[in-house]
Amino acid sequence: MWMTAPVVDQPAPAREPRRRRFVASLLYGRNVDRAAKTRARIGLAVLIFALGYAVIATRLAMFAAVPEGHGSRRAIGQDAVATARPDILDRNGEILATDVRTPSLFAEPQRIIDVDEASELLTAVMPDIDAAELRARLASKRRFVWLKREITPEQRAQIYRLGIPGIGFLPENKRIYPNGAEVSHLIGHVNIDNQGIAGIEKWLDTRGLADLHLAGLATDRLQKPVELAVDLRVQHALRDELIAARATFKAVAAAGLLTDVRTGEIISMVSVPDYDPNNPRQALDPSRINRLTTGVFEMGSTFKALTVAMALDSGKITLKSAFDASHPLQYGKFAIHDFHAQNRVLTVPEIFTYSSNIGTARMALSLGIEHHKWFLRKMGQLDRLRTELPESAEPLVPKRWAELNTVTIAFGHGLSVAPLQAVAAIGALMNGGRLIPPTFLKRSEAEARALGTQVVKPETSDKMRYLMRLNVEKGTATRADVKGYYVGGKTGTSDKVVGGRYSKTKVLTSFTAVLPADQPRYLLLIMLDEPQATPDTHGFTTSGWNAVPVGGAVISRIAPLLGLGPRFELPPADKLILASVGGR
Amino acid sequence: MMRVLNICVIGALVLAAADVYKIKFESTRQAQRVAKLRLEIRRERDAVAALRAEWAKLDNPARIQDLARRHLALKPVDSRQIDPLDNLPERPPDLVPVDEPDPIGTVIANPEVLDRSATGSVPAETR
Repeated sequence: MWMTAPVVDQPAPAREPRRRRFVASLLYGRNVDRAAKTRARIGLAVLIFALGYAVIATRLAMFAAVPEGHGSRRAIGQDAVATARPDILDRNGEILATDVRTPSLFAEPQRIIDVDEASELLTAVMPDIDAAELRARLASKRRFVWLKREITPEQRAQIYRLGIPGIGFLPENKRIYPNGAEVSHLIGHVNIDNQGIAGIEKWLDTRGLADLHLAGLATDRLQKPVELAVDLRVQHALRDELIAARATFKAVAAAGLLTDVRTGEIISMVSVPDYDPNNPRQALDPSRINRLTTGVFEMGSTFKALTVAMALDSGKITLKSAFDASHPLQYGKFAIHDFHAQNRVLTVPEIFTYSSNIGTARMALSLGIEHHKWFLRKMGQLDRLRTELPESAEPLVPKRWAELNTVTIAFGHGLSVAPLQAVAAIGALMNGGRLIPPTFLKRSEAEARALGTQVVKPETSDKMRYLMRLNVEKGTATRADVKGYYVGGKTGTSDKVVGGRYSKTKVLTSFTAVLPADQPRYLLLIMLDEPQATPDTHGFTTSGWNAVPVGGAVISRIAPLLGLGPRFELPPADKLILASVGGR
Repeated sequence: MMRVLNICVIGALVLAAADVYKIKFESTRQAQRVAKLRLEIRRERDAVAALRAEWAKLDNPARIQDLARRHLALKPVDSRQIDPLDNLPERPPDLVPVDEPDPIGTVIANPEVLDRSATGSVPAETR
């Protein structure tokens, strides 16, 4: 454009100098309307400039509208190294885990002038720090070293006043568990970089929190808190009773689990000995594992509930059916005995309340191996149970399942499952026959109904609750009959395998209770590992003398917390529960 | 004519520039204030979190139980101590109308209303 402009302004071509005429003849043809062409070019130039200015204007508007993102991102990156995690709350909003911001001390060794002076001054403020290591770190050639993570605000102020060059602070998020060991196995813990390494904390990370951290986004505490199903008050009551029970019976371990049978929520889960998540090093001790999810056990007589439910649900066996328990069941070189031997023919309710091994074994045999296997698989006893907790144990299922396996598994030996798994199955027998996967998160009844599968008939569930209640009224679990709560329950005592043989002295006792038995709400499991006899138990170590009274104490303590009102003068089980089934 | 117009335009330009400068200055000031408030909010939120953590620690059931055991004569509630509201006896009839301005005077004036004050534990004839 600017090249052609002076040419346009020339009026008469005849008087042009020769050179210019030559240029003009190169640029234009002989008979071209030069004025029209020029106008078109000017128009084009205006358009191009207008476009340029439009681009500049939009960029300006964009800069004005969007705040400068670059600078703020750098600021965030600087101040939160250990990134924020959402708070974890219990079902009533009590804090189980939260973040507190604490300063951490770092150094840039290249900028330190006098290493000796710096290390001397720092050790004066922080006497607990290793002086030699501090000096080595300060003298290193690296650009950035941590000196001490998580110092107190007072230490921070003191170090600040020292004015050592090359020393700085970064605020970090520190995970705090205000309830200490109370909910340890459930929520797990984090490492020094605030990454979950166990329990619900780890589950949070696998749910995408880790990715957020990598992207540098999860730095603020504005994340929505996670609400768990656990009730801190119930958890404390259960733990308190279990610690007392463990001391009384000198047990290796004690564990308790409370679930809501209608929703599958885990209201409380305790396995003592446990650890303090604020001091996660304790968690490495193998005796402190969570026995309810990471351990597998032969559940003993508790499993008889499943066998009896299978029998009743098949329709071939009713509450009036009878099985011969008059003499031990001989199977090859094994003989199956009863602990409370009656030596006569027993009906199904008697088998349940006397906890007859022979009776349940005959019951399972009458239905066949395949049916037994099919039923246990349906109840989720043969596959690994997955919950939010990353720790889970695979059940130990016999590789070859012969008749002898069915005989022993019928009364809870020869198949090791995680206790949580057994509780989920028994919960299904109580709540009307729906197997609901257990969860540590809050869940509504409607959600649970959608998730659950019908595994046994509702009538079978009624009959099972009748048997459970009967067992508390006049069976092995009479010591758990807390007045007013209509408790139903099944005891279990299994001999522990020591060195490949069943021990005669080391037992695992358990007690599974449903309350109230007529309108089931909660299922409680109490487990004691190797309880010893005390003078009060008259030398017995069976469940009825240890796990059952503990269960009773726990129930009388937690039922008011759970909002269960006591109801007195309720008729016995055969009138209240069986009447609704209509005949047997 | 053209000159007047030019002067006007230049004047407007200067005014506009001054105004833009003012706006820009104001916005910088506001941005600084926002940043400061954000920092303050963040500090407050951190302080709230720290206090909530401390409260949770003090409110821990194990600690409360320990304190209660040491300082109170209270014991865990037994199921027999709980009774539903249905078991409450009926409320006795009022001696005098509720909106009576001088209830005591009315009772003195009409002593016979006291005979209606029989309750479950106080029979009418002992009055």
